[in-house]
Amino acid sequence: MNPKDLPLVHTGTIIEDDPLTLAELCRACGVHADWVISLVEEGIIEPDGKEIHLWHFSGESLVRVRSALRLQRDLGINLAGIGLALDLVEELEKLRTQLNQTENFRKHKA
Amino acid sequence: MQYKDYYQVMGLSRDANQDEIKRAYRKLARKYHPDVSKETDAEAKFKELGEAYEVLKDPEKRAAYHQLGANWQTGQDFKPPPNWNEGFEFKGGGFTGSDAADFSDFFEQLFGRTGFHSAHTERHFGEHLRGQDSHAKIHIDLEDSYHGATRTISLSAPEMNAQGQLQVKHRSLNVKIPKGVKPGQHIKLAGQGNPALGSGQAGDLFLEIAFNNHPLYRVSETDVYLDLPITPWEAALGAKIKIPTPEGKVDLKIPPNSRQGGKLRLAGRGLPGKVPGDFYVELQIALPPANTEQAKAVYQNMQQTLDFNPRQTMGG
Repeated sequence: MNPKDLPLVHTGTIIEDDPLTLAELCRACGVHADWVISLVEEGIIEPDGKEIHLWHFSGESLVRVRSALRLQRDLGINLAGIGLALDLVEELEKLRTQLNQTENFRKHKA
Repeated sequence: MQYKDYYQVMGLSRDANQDEIKRAYRKLARKYHPDVSKETDAEAKFKELGEAYEVLKDPEKRAAYHQLGANWQTGQDFKPPPNWNEGFEFKGGGFTGSDAADFSDFFEQLFGRTGFHSAHTERHFGEHLRGQDSHAKIHIDLEDSYHGATRTISLSAPEMNAQGQLQVKHRSLNVKIPKGVKPGQHIKLAGQGNPALGSGQAGDLFLEIAFNNHPLYRVSETDVYLDLPITPWEAALGAKIKIPTPEGKVDLKIPPNSRQGGKLRLAGRGLPGKVPGDFYVELQIALPPANTEQAKAVYQNMQQTLDFNPRQTMGG
């Protein structure tokens, strides 16, 4: 569909510029605050701000909370395991990106 | 409607016991879970697995499934025999695994949509008036971040219709891509999530930004990289050449005696923003082939004239 055919254009906010409060994060992920707090205590997500009422969360936290929720629900992993899985997946992701770039470059060169 | 061989999906034989079914599920769930797996179509496979396990883990559903007989093939056109499930009662114990909304027509025909208690429908106190927030990922081009853009995205979400049945609803949304947005950032669109039940406020929509692979550039944080092939004489003698950037062509000065892999920085020409990123050019020296007498003569001339040993540090 041509974007011009739809009259309304929605403008959003970038949440990295306006990070989420604990309440907003809970609502966005459909989880209880207690559970998010336990993720913070486990070091799985790291908010800015020292005290709970000052906590602010980035988009990265949003992605990690949603992944954590699915991992717990689907695979029955506990918090320590979730933290480990997310860190390993992140590392794997980085390595894959690097590998891709190297491969792309080789193809380019050939 | 197509027949589904749930045993094939789980890699089991029809006489597998419940422990084997559980083990197979656990193993395959780890393999195909979309949050940890990068297998192609991991998500589709994970859903298929969830559906298969939903049937096979439940002795009642499994027995009913067996009633259909063992001679069906995956994908074969299928109609359930009349009254095939007589005498079975599906209590529909909550779906723990994947989202029941994604189960196949085959599953629905056999077991209906009963027991619809996926995590999606759990709500908290005080929240039941407001619609739920929803999430989607949007792939944009690098140029969209440089210039800003409007993109049309297609969303689909399960929704209850007036009869209380679950339907997948599709809609399109025009979204402004703000200039300077980076991969992994999120755009929040207030009120564009799921509609409220009753008179409450609609939820918000969160769009995660991802960049399409670009044939020339790669992005790291706010910096943009270009691999630039240059000739040996451009590297050795220095040169002024035109290079592409997402903002158009610019002149770049290659300093004399540039090395393979050397990086040149164009400050502030990365992704735009309050603190714009930088644009890096990585020099890749391309050797001309020695495929004519003249070309060979040039290389022979270099061999005789230059005292150059790149393997010095290897003791060679």
